[in-house]
Amino acid sequence: MSTEAQTKEKVQMDPKYIITLTVTLCVTCIIVAGLLGLVNLVTKDPIAAINKEKTEAAMREVVADPDGSTFSDALELTDEMTAAASGAGATLTEAYGVTVGGEAGGYALKIDTSGSQGTITMMVGVDADGTVTGVSIVKNSETSGIGSKVMNNEIVKATGVHVLDQFKGKSAADGTLSVGSNIDAISGATVSSRGVTTGVNAALAVAGVLG
Amino acid sequence: MNFARQFKEGLITNNPVLVQVLGMCSTMAITTSFFNGIGMGVAVTIILTLSNIIISAIRKLVPDKIRIAMFIVVIAGFVTMVDLLLQAFVPALSESLGVFIPLIVVNCIILGRAESFSYKNGVAASAVDGICQGIGYTLVLMVMCIVRELLGAGTFGGGILGAGGILEGGALGAGKGIRIIPEQFPIGVLTLPVGGFIVLACLIAAMQWALARPKKEKEESKS
Repeated sequence: MSTEAQTKEKVQMDPKYIITLTVTLCVTCIIVAGLLGLVNLVTKDPIAAINKEKTEAAMREVVADPDGSTFSDALELTDEMTAAASGAGATLTEAYGVTVGGEAGGYALKIDTSGSQGTITMMVGVDADGTVTGVSIVKNSETSGIGSKVMNNEIVKATGVHVLDQFKGKSAADGTLSVGSNIDAISGATVSSRGVTTGVNAALAVAGVLG
Repeated sequence: MNFARQFKEGLITNNPVLVQVLGMCSTMAITTSFFNGIGMGVAVTIILTLSNIIISAIRKLVPDKIRIAMFIVVIAGFVTMVDLLLQAFVPALSESLGVFIPLIVVNCIILGRAESFSYKNGVAASAVDGICQGIGYTLVLMVMCIVRELLGAGTFGGGILGAGGILEGGALGAGKGIRIIPEQFPIGVLTLPVGGFIVLACLIAAMQWALARPKKEKEESKS
């Protein structure tokens, strides 16, 4: 320890110098923060509009009637809803009410589930009867050329059906969905297919809570 | 100040990626489509030029002990601005580059140029340095993008050309690229990170070979 202390260079502790350092850094940070505030002021609204548009576009993909549906603002997530999703093995991040022709038409649920390379964020549409109306992938980092086949909704060769379209029409009455029994995986991409299936199960569980 | 010399340094003899070997993270990660390469290159060039100008302008006011902290504050400020502006006005690019835009803050090219060039040189020279180094970086990205996209996915100009691209009235970033190699033949591994390493290694090797050659000839002629 003592040798270390000896070899260390003695720092000049001139109080004036320290104050100069502090003031310079402080002023720079304040100027930069002020400029960032200005930029934020200009970009805040367009960014919010784009995010809303993106979420809406993702929701439109999963409802039965894309043109006739309107969406509520994000619903507050209750403990019951999040517990239902985590019970099924995935995480509920956002929930929106869907209105079709003035009547309650189910929900659009944003779910995080684990794929083979990280989190898959997906949107699941569930109608008022608790039946899945559509599944779309919002964000993923699955292996390009393997897991990405599931993400791009490619055709399962054995059955000739698009992999994500299999979920349409499934409901809680079908029991827990699982790859191999009532869902077909794309060969080589079993883990990604399982992840998506878990997400749909979670969505159905949440829809069950919402009623 | 010698513009031609600085330009040659940025592009060839002191290329930020191939000779200084800086900014590897972004070089490897985003060079999968033409659109990404150009977008990242332009973003880095703009940030590099601006931060070079500012750092060179304030270099006499900055106490030596805290210069690195000051550099980072200035760079982070510009990166955040560019990030916000991209999110607001070029959402397609912002989405496809994702986290690599905020990560420009820690792109060593920018900090490296601040420390080794703009902290010691005048404003004009630093601005030119920023542009030249930026162009050098962008060119390498584009070469990597073209190679990886062509051999890895079999297309050219992904994000800009091809079906749904801007030439056909589509949105920026939507183009599928022009297919050159039929779908079943490309080497898929080249679009993965490991492919980035391989392509970059080949480029660096080629660059070093090209740079070493003239010297060798001279030595041979001497002896």
